[in-house]
Amino acid sequence: MSETSSATAAGSASGAPPPEVTRLPPRQWVKENLFSSPFSSALTIVTSIVLLAIARALLSFIFNPIRQWNSTATNMQLFFTRAYPDEQYIRVWFSLAVIIVLTSISMAVWRAGSSIPLARLGRKLLAGAALLLLLALLAPFSASATIQWTLAAACVAVIGEGVRRSASKGGAERTVSSLTVLVVTLAGLVASLWVVPYGHHTYIPSRQPRVLAESGTVALTTKLPWTIMLLIAVAAYLMGGVIRERLPVNPTRITLLILWLLAPPVLIYLVLRDPSFDMGHVISTDLPIFAAYALGGSVILSWLTRPSTGEAGRILAVTILVVGFCTFLTPMRMVVRLDMLLLAIFALAAPTFAGGPRNRKRYVLGWLGVLGVMSWLITAINTPSTVSVPGGFFIGGFSITLMVAVFTIVLSFPLGIALALARTSTMPIFRLLATWFIEFVRGVPLITILIFFSIMVPLFLPRGMHLGEVAAVVIGYVLFSSAYLAENVRGGLQSVTRGQHEAADAVGMTTAQKTLFIVLPQGLRVAIPPLVGHCIGVFKETSLLAIIGVFDVLYIGRIVIPGQTEFMGSTKENLLFVSVIYWIFAYQMSKASQRLEQRTGLGER
Amino acid sequence: MTDMTPTEPTGNQTRDLSGARDMIVCENVSKWYGDFQALDGVSANIKEQEVVVVLGPSGSGKSTWIRCINRLEIHQEGRIVVDDVELTNDLRNIEKVRSEVGMVFQQFNLFPHLTILDNVTLAPIWVRKKPRAEAEAQAMALLERVGIPEQAQKYPGQLSGGQQQRVAIARALAMEPRIMLFDEPTSALDPEMIKEVLDVMKALALSGMTMMVVTHEMGFAKEVADRLFFMEGGQIVEQNTTEMFFSNPAEERTKLFLSQIL
Repeated sequence: MSETSSATAAGSASGAPPPEVTRLPPRQWVKENLFSSPFSSALTIVTSIVLLAIARALLSFIFNPIRQWNSTATNMQLFFTRAYPDEQYIRVWFSLAVIIVLTSISMAVWRAGSSIPLARLGRKLLAGAALLLLLALLAPFSASATIQWTLAAACVAVIGEGVRRSASKGGAERTVSSLTVLVVTLAGLVASLWVVPYGHHTYIPSRQPRVLAESGTVALTTKLPWTIMLLIAVAAYLMGGVIRERLPVNPTRITLLILWLLAPPVLIYLVLRDPSFDMGHVISTDLPIFAAYALGGSVILSWLTRPSTGEAGRILAVTILVVGFCTFLTPMRMVVRLDMLLLAIFALAAPTFAGGPRNRKRYVLGWLGVLGVMSWLITAINTPSTVSVPGGFFIGGFSITLMVAVFTIVLSFPLGIALALARTSTMPIFRLLATWFIEFVRGVPLITILIFFSIMVPLFLPRGMHLGEVAAVVIGYVLFSSAYLAENVRGGLQSVTRGQHEAADAVGMTTAQKTLFIVLPQGLRVAIPPLVGHCIGVFKETSLLAIIGVFDVLYIGRIVIPGQTEFMGSTKENLLFVSVIYWIFAYQMSKASQRLEQRTGLGER
Repeated sequence: MTDMTPTEPTGNQTRDLSGARDMIVCENVSKWYGDFQALDGVSANIKEQEVVVVLGPSGSGKSTWIRCINRLEIHQEGRIVVDDVELTNDLRNIEKVRSEVGMVFQQFNLFPHLTILDNVTLAPIWVRKKPRAEAEAQAMALLERVGIPEQAQKYPGQLSGGQQQRVAIARALAMEPRIMLFDEPTSALDPEMIKEVLDVMKALALSGMTMMVVTHEMGFAKEVADRLFFMEGGQIVEQNTTEMFFSNPAEERTKLFLSQIL
């Protein structure tokens, strides 16, 4: 790993500057790249014709007057949150605001965004204008529509040319932050909500006629929240900048990561679900269990993290683990069992984090934090929701797609990594169990697992224990996804050279320390591309939720909306819309993975 | 070992280590890779503060022997005792020996995802349980000692081979070992970088560290070593003081080897 890079040191060499790379003028670029030989000329012409034909077919599909695009516009709310009650809708906006605030602050703290040369931005705008013009000419528009689209293209072209001209003014190359471009674009979109007459469409099931369609701009309940969201995003970004300058970097980043991990369960189970806590039950049962574990666990862990504890500590940790598994054989509250397993994990990891009083205090505090969050989550999940909706689950549409994807990815990562480590472990029992599990799960179709978990598992549960249908399905997804993830991670682990293992051994690290500090960081970095590919896969596979009767975004687009009497047979339109939503998110994940690779690759250049 | 002043400024020739205790004891150590016997009854004692150099042609078992001493390779017969701890399958003994024995590899094996400073402080913080501030101060002192304190915040990939190897030495020294093992530390380096690494090793030898070095650098062996081992076919063919080894080798095989390389 290092012999290839040994020559890059020695500082910057003095001497002649490198020759400047000259940009070819457009005509010459086209000549050299597209028409360099008779064959490439023929290829260019044939490809252009095929692309134009495809574009024309697509455009005449989209802009055909028989397309019922108002079915999509009318059912926007259904697509994203399904039947979440209107009077509680502020909860949805609040959740979105929290995510936006976290995103903006994180972007500021991690210094997201790059600077784009103005000249390049101008050229991109000009290219966009050309595409718009092409669209205006190819699409089956009426004359007035063609003129409108052409005018729009001309506007974009004028702006692009203006940007390009201003770039060359004053010698030095001028750049603009990509975030500024983003904010200006979003501001333009939001401003258009107030000006452009998109029309106001809603579907109100309890009214006749159920479809409400008014001309003019969109409803105040749409444009006002989006305007506020944009303002919040900008304000949070500025605040993030202040945080970045004033506060120490690492604690800020760790706090943000913890907030990101906490956001999905808190928003879904506390904000969106609005559980009605039974305070009597909480005080009589949940709090005492939490207090017992908090106190007992703290004592045990503070003893285990003493460097002098030694072998006795490992024996105790394994005992706790065995007891934890045994609790599943006897009838008792789920929270007791889960807390026991959590304690076992903390006890097993304790020797790695052993050290002075400060280390031990930090470890115990970590235990209390994780235990607190988990206890509260279990309580919240077991409490009935006050949001009254028809059907099984309180959200639907794209919200549930996103929720299941996020939970599956977040939960299957630790499990997948653990499986990969077990499969590469030197301990035969772990290796055998992990191999069997992975090979079994990979040999079974996902649908089988989902049906098993939604129908069969509730039958097997001990009496008195309930598992929501969605929760059961998420468990199925997690098991399935972790098996695949484990194989991707294993590939990454195997790329860590033997020399790295030996170097870690030679300085006296234990196996746990070696895995945590040396093997996993390097192995996971190598595995980023397949892991992100897997995450995109998980995100798209959530559409199988429809099979067990959950109203996810694909089901709504495919079945629910075409089933409304007003929009019979509008399947094609809505499927196209749903695929665009999926594509936007999957593409963003893919871009994020590229940026992550670049960032983590820094040290190895 | 943080003491920079050489205890024996005149080098190896005047040292009398006969009274010192044994740091490494090998008795009839043998090892096989499948059917191939890599070590064949290797026996040797290495005393405290002694610097020994192991010579020999490729495949003669030098690296295998040195790697057995901190159990990166497992010997199958015989006994190895390091600082009064015998190497057996007992994990506690292995961990104890490894934290007493520093090792420097041919391919450096720095951790590429960590900065130079983190490379050096990782083991002291997590294995020795040192407070971070103390470990960092010690690491900076060690980087000063090997001559590259200004590179502390860089990553290994940004350093030259010689600099990386010096970081590797600092990383091993950060564990405050009593013995240092060097497994061909200069074989992967460009000629102009060999000297900077050897200089660090010489300073270390003069500071009184017990060292065992597998190398092809004859100049280094002549100047620094107290004793030389010549190995071939998994056996120690000859062991002798440096002076005797070069001026008057006992074995024919050694003479042939020396005539080929000198």
